[in-house]
Amino acid sequence: MDDSARRLLQRLIRRIPAQMLKTTLEKWGRLTAAQKQSMDFTEPKWAFTERLLDICEDNGWTGKHITELEMTYVIENPNQGMWYAFQLMDPEDDARSVELTHFKEQFKSHLSELARPVSVKIKKHADDAIWIRIAWGDSFSRPNHLKPTYVVHHLQTPYVFVTSLTSKQKPFLSQALVLSTRHQAIKDASLSGRKLGAIRDLLMRQYQQVFPTSYPSPLAERNGTVSNPQIEKEQAKSAENRLQMACEAFGDGMLPQLQSSVYKLETKFKDHTNKTMTEREEPFRCVVKFASTNLLESLRHCASSGIASTPVTPLLSSIPLKGRNYFVIKDNGPGPSSQTRQTQN
Amino acid sequence: MDKRREDEEEGEEGMDEDSEDSELLRLMARHTQLNDLLYAHHIIGGYDAIETRQGQGLCLSLPTAYDGVFLETYNLEIDVKPTPRIVRHNIPPFIPLSDLVEQSDMQTDLRTFLDTLSQHLNAFSGRKQQLKLLKELHKSVEVMESNALCSILVMMVTVPKEKTDVLCTLDYSDHTRCLPTRVHFECNGKLLADSPDWDKIRSLLLETPVHKALSDMRTMGNIV
Repeated sequence: MDDSARRLLQRLIRRIPAQMLKTTLEKWGRLTAAQKQSMDFTEPKWAFTERLLDICEDNGWTGKHITELEMTYVIENPNQGMWYAFQLMDPEDDARSVELTHFKEQFKSHLSELARPVSVKIKKHADDAIWIRIAWGDSFSRPNHLKPTYVVHHLQTPYVFVTSLTSKQKPFLSQALVLSTRHQAIKDASLSGRKLGAIRDLLMRQYQQVFPTSYPSPLAERNGTVSNPQIEKEQAKSAENRLQMACEAFGDGMLPQLQSSVYKLETKFKDHTNKTMTEREEPFRCVVKFASTNLLESLRHCASSGIASTPVTPLLSSIPLKGRNYFVIKDNGPGPSSQTRQTQN
Repeated sequence: MDKRREDEEEGEEGMDEDSEDSELLRLMARHTQLNDLLYAHHIIGGYDAIETRQGQGLCLSLPTAYDGVFLETYNLEIDVKPTPRIVRHNIPPFIPLSDLVEQSDMQTDLRTFLDTLSQHLNAFSGRKQQLKLLKELHKSVEVMESNALCSILVMMVTVPKEKTDVLCTLDYSDHTRCLPTRVHFECNGKLLADSPDWDKIRSLLLETPVHKALSDMRTMGNIV
């Protein structure tokens, strides 16, 4: 094993929390039962690393195997760093029939042509997600495995999720994705978060949405657990309405965990008591950020408890509706985005 | 759009008491009957449509079912004015919703649009259900590849006679159907040439839902 592979393994073991070492190595599946037995998960990490390095040397494993271990760890524990969503646009006619092997070949070949040298590893996860690990190099150096980019994509959907990508690397990745998925363009989806699953669930609509229905609302039924008939809730009807509207805007049950929503305002200042500001020509630039451990849950609670007025303002309901948490608000429209409303897809 | 609800009418003034009452009762009975009819329609899986936002919106629900079992229900919220367009939905992104919207005229023929969409959704639900049942009922068969749209299925089966593994690929290129359009077999990297046994299996897989086909193949001794 060469030095860089050794360093990669040391870094990786340092990074993996002690309690996850066992399961990660298990999932990696490369160690024999005997080797697994010989590992002592209680010893200090540096000693553990040495033992693992010995095993790697014995088996003749290389950097490739270490990157495989890293990928195993990241796939199981993706919620580190920030994930950004992108959307593929304008599919060609055959975009819907792109299949896995074809995509893998095309992506690897396009990316290698665009960003030589580059090291690409593609793995399909059980839930139809395609994971791509990219180590970038340049004309002076070999691919840097210490700062890889990770990409997740589900075929036949327009969404791509990326972490650890620099602005220099972005055009190469974009081009390779567009060509291998048979689309014409890719754009920033204005959605980011620390939890991959959350932003993915939001865009793929994998959470419980609530729609108006003429038949008994499951929400009303669920809340009908008042056991004591002597207790009468004042304003029960308006509370129920607020809950219904809050759930229609954000969803029911567990909501995808977003951490923030950012509104960049470029609107003219409007306050007739402050002439100096109102008389300015340029728009008032301001950034408003909402942050929470579970933003959508917080906003839903604001609406259902009456803190935020209902019906929920489009500024807030656009987060799940449009699947984005970055908005630029200009003066030309009342909506949260300067784009005209279109059918969602 | 069909107007499925009739307004309750009060009896006209000037009619005598009895006839007013009986007219009212008759209308109430009719109203109840229509409500029951709507509910029955809802239970058997028809589209539900309700007006929202004082007639400015319409919310539709499209249930899906396969083999007599109700599966997911999908919803669409449509803004009626100035032209009908979808503002909210929970349809998965791999269903070509925007293509279907472009191909049909929601203003004059909403029903056709809904029927086509329902076809896609039902077929998708059906394929997804088949995959789920396949995984549950046939643990000896390994699913090598599938995708979110369930339009491709690659599975590994074992032939008992030669104890070899055969890779079966099912292409569901017609997304409005629950059955595959193409089936081919590979053994040791080579496509299996025409042979009467495999032709029979191919027809079986083309005509029968995959989980049932595999049960038949097991019974006939074709696979382990």
